[in-house]
Amino acid sequence: MNAIAAAELRMLVRNRTVAGAALLFPMSFGVFLCFSRGAHERGGAVAGVQIILMVAMGTYVTVTTTLASRRQTLYLKRMRGGAVSDRAIIAGLVAPPVGVNLVQLAIVLGVLAYADVPSNPLLLVAAIVIAQAMFAGLALATAGLSASPEHAQYTTAPIFLVATAAAVWFQATGTDHLIAVKRTLPGGALAELVETAWDGGGLSTLPLLLPATLGWTVVGVLAARAFFRWEPRQ
Amino acid sequence: MRETTEDAVIEAWNVGFTYRRKRRSTEGGHAAVRDVGLTVRRGETYALLGTNGAGKTTTLEVLEGHRVPTSGRVRVLSGDPADRRRIRPRVGIMLQDSGLAAELSVRESVALAGAISGRRDDVDSVLERVGLAPKSGTRVAQLSGGEKRRVDFAMAIWGTPELIFLDEPTTGLDPTSRAALWAIVAELKAAGTTFLLTTHYLEEAEKGADRIGLMHEGTLRREGTVADLTADGVTTVRFVPPGAVDAIPVAVTGTENGLVVIRTRTPQRDVATLMTWAAANGHELIRFSVSPSGLDDVFASLGAERTTA
Repeated sequence: MNAIAAAELRMLVRNRTVAGAALLFPMSFGVFLCFSRGAHERGGAVAGVQIILMVAMGTYVTVTTTLASRRQTLYLKRMRGGAVSDRAIIAGLVAPPVGVNLVQLAIVLGVLAYADVPSNPLLLVAAIVIAQAMFAGLALATAGLSASPEHAQYTTAPIFLVATAAAVWFQATGTDHLIAVKRTLPGGALAELVETAWDGGGLSTLPLLLPATLGWTVVGVLAARAFFRWEPRQ
Repeated sequence: MRETTEDAVIEAWNVGFTYRRKRRSTEGGHAAVRDVGLTVRRGETYALLGTNGAGKTTTLEVLEGHRVPTSGRVRVLSGDPADRRRIRPRVGIMLQDSGLAAELSVRESVALAGAISGRRDDVDSVLERVGLAPKSGTRVAQLSGGEKRRVDFAMAIWGTPELIFLDEPTTGLDPTSRAALWAIVAELKAAGTTFLLTTHYLEEAEKGADRIGLMHEGTLRREGTVADLTADGVTTVRFVPPGAVDAIPVAVTGTENGLVVIRTRTPQRDVATLMTWAAANGHELIRFSVSPSGLDDVFASLGAERTTA
């Protein structure tokens, strides 16, 4: 797994445009957030949207595109000719984009936290871990439905848009209207969970939020098992 | 059903593989391989030959453990070929399609394949062996097709596995590189490695393989040494007719580029008859030649065969 992950990271870093964009984008975004946020506002709502947007883009879209590309070039088939397990291959391929995404999140949230420290860092970390697992699972499933990396631009759109829209909807309207719908959508409960962790809201909603977010994680993993393919269709 | 052979490295019993039909398609699945049975013994080099679409690569991929047979049974090194922990570290695989990462260098690609192979070796010595040491730092994207095949080959021989599968290993290689590859195969074979390969180059199979399996339309039609496969073939006699073709004392098959062509299963008798006739009549048999049946004749005869199954 380590060798596969190292090769994947090498390929990612070797492309200077990608490597530059991967670091400059979140840094500039963090600075933008720092200046645009109101002086007396807490950072939870903004952090919720940012985490979901960045994980959806950095993990979900990137992993889907990477896997579709690796399958199309028969790189996955070659990996399966070796002595490592399928899980180790997947872990090796998914770990680098997730790792880069975590660094991006650390930069953006670090800038945000400089002015407003999150109230419950452990819950925030848990929310980020859940977000990564959910989007990685959904990425495996979506990759199975994407014939090529170009195709992945379209197949990732529904989940990307629904998840980010749910987060923005929650940020804009809070828990006022149709809260059950917001919590059911992928990204909705997650955005609420991040806000709770950051702003220090009551933990009474956790029994509702955690099953909803973990539910999407389970859906992602089950969908990955059902749809993921190692080789292009014959 | 074949019996288990004690020194068998690969055993296949009645193996079939059918590609599933596409969703919403009205066509049935495509049976790429049907009822294939073969045994490859330890230290042997076995070549699968066949027409395009004969099922060679699918058969190889079933034996490699890349595909689960839809019927029949396969054993490789006394185990399941898909067993990554116990069997794969003992097996080297050279796929027909490369699957190399364009962004990695030659050295990085071979090192990665080595790292996941379950075997130990030295990258520099492997690259030296396949003649890629000068290209060590070159990105795969910048290699020629032949050089990529050599990278594939380097990955397959990494750590000197007990069994190596080679799917069209010399396709795209220049004659020098082909000879170099076969020299390495010979070295490894001398050290005890077993090979199962496919190729379109009949002369390579004739020279390098101990036994040959001929596939056509998904089935293994014939199997044996070159001598076995060509034993019951015809011999072709050609010469410029010295006069009227009707006067020739043996049965003439036809004419070809101004030459009389005689295909015979009794070449010794027919040649003796021709020589006696020519001497008696003062004929000189210009461009006289006798060609024994070769693998290409056997191969060509496959195309004429129709599947009865």
